[in-house]
Amino acid sequence: MNQVGAVGLIAALVFAIYGAITGAIAGKLRSPRMLKSAQRAVLGFFVTATLAVISLEYLIYTNDFHNAYVAEHSSLALPLRYKFPVLWAGQEGSLLFWTWLLAIYIGFAVLLNRRKNRQLMPYVISISMAVATFFALADFAVANPFNTLSMASASGMTPFTPADGNGLNPSLQFHQMTIHPPLLYLGYVGFTIPFAFAMAALLTRQLGDNWIRVTRRWTMVPWMFLGTGIVLGGNWAYHVLGWGGYWAWDPVENASLLPWLGGTAFLHSVMIQEKRGMLKVWNMSLIILTFFLSIFGDFLVRSGIISSVHAFAQSDIGPWFTVFLAIVAAFSLTVLFLRLDFLKSDNRLDSIASRESGFLFNNWILLAAVLAVFWGTVFPVVSKAIENETVTVGPPFFNKVMIPIGLLLLFLTGAGPMLAWRKTSFQSIKRNFTIPLIVAGIVGIILFAEGIHGLYTWMSLFLCAFVATSIVAEFYKGARTRMKTSKEKFPSAVYNLTMRNTRRYGGYIVHFGIVLIFVGIAGQAFRFETQGLMGPGDLLHAKDYLFRCEKITSGQKENYQYVTVDLAVTKDGHAMGVMRPQKRFYIASRQPLSHIALRTNLARDLYVVMAGTDQDSGKAIVHVIINPLVQWVWIGGMIVLLGTILALIPSRIERQMADIHKHQEATVEAHHVT
Amino acid sequence: MSLSRTLKILVLSFALVNVAMAAPTSAQIDRIQNTISTKVYCMCGCATTLKDCPDLHCPVKAKMDQIIRTDLKQGKSEKATIQDLVDIYGEKVLAAPPASGFNLTAWILPGVGLLIGLFLAITIVRRWRRPAVQSATSAAAPPMDDNVRAAVEEEMKKYVD
Repeated sequence: MNQVGAVGLIAALVFAIYGAITGAIAGKLRSPRMLKSAQRAVLGFFVTATLAVISLEYLIYTNDFHNAYVAEHSSLALPLRYKFPVLWAGQEGSLLFWTWLLAIYIGFAVLLNRRKNRQLMPYVISISMAVATFFALADFAVANPFNTLSMASASGMTPFTPADGNGLNPSLQFHQMTIHPPLLYLGYVGFTIPFAFAMAALLTRQLGDNWIRVTRRWTMVPWMFLGTGIVLGGNWAYHVLGWGGYWAWDPVENASLLPWLGGTAFLHSVMIQEKRGMLKVWNMSLIILTFFLSIFGDFLVRSGIISSVHAFAQSDIGPWFTVFLAIVAAFSLTVLFLRLDFLKSDNRLDSIASRESGFLFNNWILLAAVLAVFWGTVFPVVSKAIENETVTVGPPFFNKVMIPIGLLLLFLTGAGPMLAWRKTSFQSIKRNFTIPLIVAGIVGIILFAEGIHGLYTWMSLFLCAFVATSIVAEFYKGARTRMKTSKEKFPSAVYNLTMRNTRRYGGYIVHFGIVLIFVGIAGQAFRFETQGLMGPGDLLHAKDYLFRCEKITSGQKENYQYVTVDLAVTKDGHAMGVMRPQKRFYIASRQPLSHIALRTNLARDLYVVMAGTDQDSGKAIVHVIINPLVQWVWIGGMIVLLGTILALIPSRIERQMADIHKHQEATVEAHHVT
Repeated sequence: MSLSRTLKILVLSFALVNVAMAAPTSAQIDRIQNTISTKVYCMCGCATTLKDCPDLHCPVKAKMDQIIRTDLKQGKSEKATIQDLVDIYGEKVLAAPPASGFNLTAWILPGVGLLIGLFLAITIVRRWRRPAVQSATSAAAPPMDDNVRAAVEEEMKKYVD
């Protein structure tokens, strides 16, 4: 099976090269035959990449430790449910996984556009297959997952198969880890398609609104996956790493945030081009930037140039990515420069108080966030290169720089949608802003009276109230208008209003989710923690909670040994049951891991970690954290996901327009036949 | 009691009170230690702050915690304790680069970027605005009543988005 996988990978590389070349020729010669050939190359690429993935999974599931990758990342005792994630646990497998996801995306793009965008598609195939060529080549030449183990002997190198493998990293043996990396990858990889469409539009000079309309959904899908992956990653860190937090401004976390921020800026500014024919160069630049940042993020994870808890080990792949990034930047910016004359704005701004300028300022803040995160992430490398001094840029830096930027962005999340396109009258501003400001003011006073005096925390919650009210008001006003005109009841008015314009109201729901995430983040200001040594009968106080150690037990499960401490918890004298934090020691990888115990509600999380046992007394080292409002981060993340799915559903107006287009096309076709 | 003996007792009492006041309490040490552990990185290679080191049994973390605690017990300030850690592990122990020398650029650049972005956004908005001639032409149109404009805006929101 190893050979089958290796052949599959080589064949995928050949198909990718062929597709990139024939796509370009089909575009240049406008040849339907060459386009057909390029489409078949995409199919071939998908089939062979799938074959390579299936082969590797087969080797993993059958514990074929002759394969170096399987021996490095799997083991006999690894539970079956964690065998599949081995595919992306290491450099080689994850590159193959990336290549395969890219094959799926390109396949879908070709399938969904087989009768549409005839001029763009040859170049879309060419560009996306060129990107696929890079990943397939890097996987084949630098990090091949089908390399086998051999050892030196008297007769030269002989095949070697160890009795067992090293096993999967314990921190990856959690159910979130079976979803989180694929979602992140679906996000990173997916930005290839809008980039390919943008380049195709530039190359074919088809720079009307069509490429924007086509790529909006192709951008929203990876943006949704990336965002969900980021939240799930935070959820995993919270449940697995045992430090009671979900975001540490780690370089690899930052690497995933960068293309998400770029994509967010694009998804907002794209609306100005659709509605007003403005910001054409800007939108092109943003999609190039977003794609560049997604590849840069992958580079950070794989090259090992920056130390991170998430990064793969240092490898030779860094220079490959550097060259690829340089090619992407040089090619895309050259094409953009050559087409500047075709990207002039159709309209001009009517007023500063307008939705257009709101979006522009939203883009300003988002790009400032990109710059701050990017600079903070790469600064250690820059400092090392220029000053030959190793510095660290961690949470204190990012919190200082990013909190004000985040608050500005939060304000614009509420204020922007309340501005009308073209021009907003003073009356309208007064009408739209008054209620949200009053509600936020009341909330602000209550918070201050309750003793919340920290500027950022207070400001954050104040703005959350402002934005949430503005969103509710938008729904209410829209529903009220429908109730008047269509005599509908309030719930059906809200439903019909939303389904009539899914994009707009889906967007509001996304904003609401963001508000909830900010509420959760603000809760961190009230975090409380304490630690103690606990043997049977010992007590530990943590605010209103009292922990009593019942017993300490140890044992062994299929692939780890454990020590568990049973803690009876009471709150204000009321029994809350027993919490059982656990310390595990994974046998194959010889790594320890803390398995937390968690009691959660919407107000606070009770987070208990067993750090280990004290060697002198044999008592358990128990760490208790009271984390207010954390649940709102996960709820907010889910609401963002739901809002995005809603925005992806074609609205009634869009469906009606699509029917009209279909009818027109059928008429033209019939006319041609006649 | 002679004057000199009284003076000696007074001086001794003052010294004792002073020492008692200068020596930080256990709660104060915990608080400062907690603050410091968010400002320095654990040097075990975990790439997280000392406070968030995922290996709670980490020997490097234990050693660094010990250094901080000893310093604080000796009455050293937060700044002096952090400086001791820098002397031992180098500047890379700091979770954020100090705002001096080349490291200053780390702090300044995001702010500069923000300001340049604001300048560009304002410039673009100004350039986007209609030329005066066009404004004059449009000014010839009858002015729209604010109520009518508000109603139109409300109506447009339903379709234009």
